[in-house]
Amino acid sequence: MTSDLFNLGYQFLVNISFLMFAAMGLTIVLGMLNIINLAHGEFIMMGAYTATIAVHNGVPFVLAVMLATFAVGIFGAVIERLVIRRFYGNKLNALVATFGLSLIISQGTLLLFGPFLQGIKMPLGGFKVGDYSYATYLLVIAGLAFVVLGALWFLFYRTRLGVDMRATMQNPDMARALGVNTSRIYMFSFALGAALAGLTGALYAPTTTIVPLFGSSFIAPAFITVVIGGGANPLIGALASSSLLALVQTPLSSEFSAFAGRIGLMFAALLMMRFLPDGLSHYIQAAFLNRRRARAEKSR
Amino acid sequence: MSLLELKAVRRAFGGIVAADGIDFSLAAGERRCLIGPNGAGKSTFFKLIMGLIKPDSGSIHLDGSDISRDEPFRRVQRGVSMKYQTTRIFPTLTVAQNMFIASPGGKLSEVAAWGLDRLELARNAARPAGELSYGQQHWLEMCMALGNAPRVVLMDEPTAGMTPQESQRTAQFIKELGDRGIAAIVIEHDMGFVRGLEAPTTVLHQGRVFRHGSIAEIERDPDIQRIYLGDAHG
Amino acid sequence: MSSYNSLAAPGTSASPRSFLERTGLDGQLTVFGGRWYWSLFVLVFGAAATFPIYGSVFTALNFTSFLINVPLALGLALLWGYCGVLSFGQVAFFGIGGYAYGVLAINWGLGAATVGAAVCALGLTALAAAAFGYFLFYGRVSAWIIPVLTLVLTLMLETFLGQTAGLEWRIGDAQLGGFNGMTNIPSITVGPFSFDGFSLPLFYLVLALVALTLAGLRMLANSHFGHVSMAIQEDQERAELLGYDIRRYQLTIFVIAGLLAGLSGILYASWGNFIQPTSVGLLASTFPVLWVAVSGRRSLTSVAIGTVALSALSDTLAVYSGELAFVVMGAILLFGMMAAPNGMVITLLRGIARLSRARK
Repeated sequence: MTSDLFNLGYQFLVNISFLMFAAMGLTIVLGMLNIINLAHGEFIMMGAYTATIAVHNGVPFVLAVMLATFAVGIFGAVIERLVIRRFYGNKLNALVATFGLSLIISQGTLLLFGPFLQGIKMPLGGFKVGDYSYATYLLVIAGLAFVVLGALWFLFYRTRLGVDMRATMQNPDMARALGVNTSRIYMFSFALGAALAGLTGALYAPTTTIVPLFGSSFIAPAFITVVIGGGANPLIGALASSSLLALVQTPLSSEFSAFAGRIGLMFAALLMMRFLPDGLSHYIQAAFLNRRRARAEKSR
Repeated sequence: MSLLELKAVRRAFGGIVAADGIDFSLAAGERRCLIGPNGAGKSTFFKLIMGLIKPDSGSIHLDGSDISRDEPFRRVQRGVSMKYQTTRIFPTLTVAQNMFIASPGGKLSEVAAWGLDRLELARNAARPAGELSYGQQHWLEMCMALGNAPRVVLMDEPTAGMTPQESQRTAQFIKELGDRGIAAIVIEHDMGFVRGLEAPTTVLHQGRVFRHGSIAEIERDPDIQRIYLGDAHG
Repeated sequence: MSSYNSLAAPGTSASPRSFLERTGLDGQLTVFGGRWYWSLFVLVFGAAATFPIYGSVFTALNFTSFLINVPLALGLALLWGYCGVLSFGQVAFFGIGGYAYGVLAINWGLGAATVGAAVCALGLTALAAAAFGYFLFYGRVSAWIIPVLTLVLTLMLETFLGQTAGLEWRIGDAQLGGFNGMTNIPSITVGPFSFDGFSLPLFYLVLALVALTLAGLRMLANSHFGHVSMAIQEDQERAELLGYDIRRYQLTIFVIAGLLAGLSGILYASWGNFIQPTSVGLLASTFPVLWVAVSGRRSLTSVAIGTVALSALSDTLAVYSGELAFVVMGAILLFGMMAAPNGMVITLLRGIARLSRARK
């Protein structure tokens, strides 16, 4: 019984961390820059490829992950300068243009590197609980997901840069008038989003085959998680929607098949997007503000 | 029986009470001015009538039927129409196209045709609406609001940015609308225009109906001056 | 717009409107028109129709597959260019049309039954579009969620179809076939004519359908319905306050677009005798968007031309390298959006029109 519970708990953590990692980069870009980046999946793939190639060239895994994160981040900054900034204020054109970018990157990778790369082994081995065996590494990833989320929270709410970013997000004109270099903030934000995508790809590289369409299994869950989370508060939104979606997906995939889990997730997503159009973070924030206001009124 | 009636309509946004138990009544063909200091809730009042905002409590009636739960387009189909404060015509389309869109089924209503003629917009039929002068754009929008042959038109600061001659013309136009049986509620800040309309005036303050009377009475009232200028304790 | 005679100043007579304007074939909301346009229209379709005589039949047959994409693209152009709704889900209806036709045609057999299968498949597609459209528009979700929602629909369908490999996944005699798709789908047959990819009847059918669709959509665009849809795109709240139930307009156009996508799907199944999940996949869902965006979503004619050109281009490139084809398409998309955000074909055609006017 407890081993079954542990199994479910483990699956839940694996699913929620997958969604969180897939979504974090995208939600920052959407929340800060208000554009939909369809090349997000390709950034993830680039992270996986960079880490894999590094490891095959003797770089220790941890360093390879950091290298991948950094490299994709730099690439993101370059892309922001050259391409993305022409599309601010035009979500739909940005969507189309980034789709073109994703085609170039993924198919270009296919051309240059062939249909797949030799993979890397999952580190840290495994352990058993009851009848089931588990991979330690996936638990590490789960832990890292929360660490990264915490780091992002720290960045946004405890640093000067974070204040500038939030100001730019809420009112760019005002922020500019107060001396914030919004142009640099935008570039940094997109680079941060790309770096997070690169990190995701690098971390998940040992778990699956390294193919040019590596990112495609991340992109739909990423979008779903981000849209459901909403732009009101990207971090809370990502956390809340990952939790809810994983809550739907886990029992389904455990009881039936991974694929039933996916369909269930998408179906739940459809319903949530339709009936909670402002995103979960909006409602969470509203409830939180209302409680604070009620408390303030009472103390008057 | 009144044409348009609001009963104890209340609407709050978080801590701000934009409408605090409004009772309002308008007869068919009646002209009414709506004035009040900024933040009094005048635009909210219009949005409540049009259904862009739903009331927290209270009800809105048109011709006796309760429209409080109706979608905005339903209310327009039933005979209420609004002219926005900033012009929201379709600037890339021609005057004729704008009117075509404003006419249900594509048939120009009689009163809209009369309006276009009266305001001399008919000869600009083929011009893109964005090329009209500011005042003419306002007039186009008024004609568009007449497209569905409404019973009552809400006008939010129709003369903002107009020249004095255009304002006079607009006041005359609204009076003639009344002659044709179309009621109008006009939000305005321009006291000259309000005087020219010669209509009963309702004053809104802090989401409530503060005073109601003729414009002459309103202008003489010291309380009104106070709410506009603010008193020492406010 | 006959009611506009009353807009003329009293005393002058409004100019009589041409036949083209009265039917809506020409009008304010279609970008290109007039005598030159229709002369070229007749010329181009005439040349295409007679091509098998002076040109190669093989090229004509190849061309059919490009033409089949046009209804799909035109549906999206109507939806996106005239109503402001960007849908990544058009391929879902392409797939529903194709698979439905496949299931029905395999079970009902050859001959006239295939026509029945095609008609029923269209009906089913319309129903599916209506159902999903209702879900989409009657919730009044904000405009940018629609692309994501339609993308999710497409992915759900692809995921579902992809795992139907087992033998138990069958409807009657039709095996869904998983990733390999459904095969041995009979082509539509009417009497001695078989509308398949190896003979000319399908070429002529598709050509006729493209011409009819283009003309029909033009009439729709120039009608009152088309004007209101455009108004909804420009300023949704304003359109609502003019007394229109915008949800009904959006739903109607969504169903029309879905029908056109389904039509393309049925024609595809008849042409190739197969249909597979990749036609409904993530990559495929972006093709219509690519065709419409690069061509110029405001002009139906540009989209028709651009779709054929882009399909031909990617087909040619794929001969050398499939990946290269995608890279080039991606590059066209990216640079097209940067250089000509309104669309490359429409910008080009507008330039030509302006030059010829300047010369007069």
